[in-house]
Amino acid sequence: MNIYLLMKKFDHILLFKTNCSTGADKLMLQCLMQQDGIEEWNLDLDDCDYVLRVISRTLNHASIILLLNRHGYECCELI
Amino acid sequence: MRTRDIDKEQLVKQKAIECIVKDGMEGFSMNKLAKACKISVATLYIYYKDRDDLIISIAREEGLRMAKIMLEDFDENASFEDGLRVQWKNRYKHMMENPHLGVFFDQLRSSSYHAQFMETFKTNFETAIGNFMHNVHERGEVNEMPFEAFWSVAYAPLYSLIRFHNEGYSVGGKPFAMSDKILWATFNLVVKALKN
Repeated sequence: MNIYLLMKKFDHILLFKTNCSTGADKLMLQCLMQQDGIEEWNLDLDDCDYVLRVISRTLNHASIILLLNRHGYECCELI
Repeated sequence: MRTRDIDKEQLVKQKAIECIVKDGMEGFSMNKLAKACKISVATLYIYYKDRDDLIISIAREEGLRMAKIMLEDFDENASFEDGLRVQWKNRYKHMMENPHLGVFFDQLRSSSYHAQFMETFKTNFETAIGNFMHNVHERGEVNEMPFEAFWSVAYAPLYSLIRFHNEGYSVGGKPFAMSDKILWATFNLVVKALKN
């Protein structure tokens, strides 16, 4: 891993704790994550916090939380 | 500031291997790793996409590092005995300096990460070893035989001794510590078995 690149991208990695725990939830996210501004995303179904990782240069934590809440999912920033 | 982050990344890799060796692949989680490193889970997810990404990245990196170490001072045109001696020396040194790695690699081999891990050896390493074996057969130093048969005689004794050493005991719980004398005596037996 190139630390320099990582540092540059640091601010654009948004992390969330969610309750998206199934393959069906992941499929749902696949639709939601198609919105403009999301360069890359990933849901870790192996983790107990079902961590959602989003790379975006334009969106912030609040907008992603709102997007998931609107579709019935719990979502908060992973600290 | 950058130095500190590289240190943290190194710590994450080292602790990840330790945790996997201790708890097994199944018992390993990002949460446990974060606690072991005394960092937040979020920091881990900055470095890696998910648990799979973390394991595969570390496996690839360690695999490439091992492949590089195994080729140090290795000459594919060397005689069978000299070439094999360098292989034994490099493998022995690497395994003794990184005692957790042997177990970690065994765990990778018997996991779903097997294919990705083995990919790392399909680089210079396989070519150099392939050329060495070709030369050895051409010169008639060693007979052709199934690869698995060759490997089992050529390297399995070395890995057995290292395992005994790491566990501190051998068959039947007998205390065991490796020495250069035992290592090279075993090597001589291996050469005797394989060389025409």
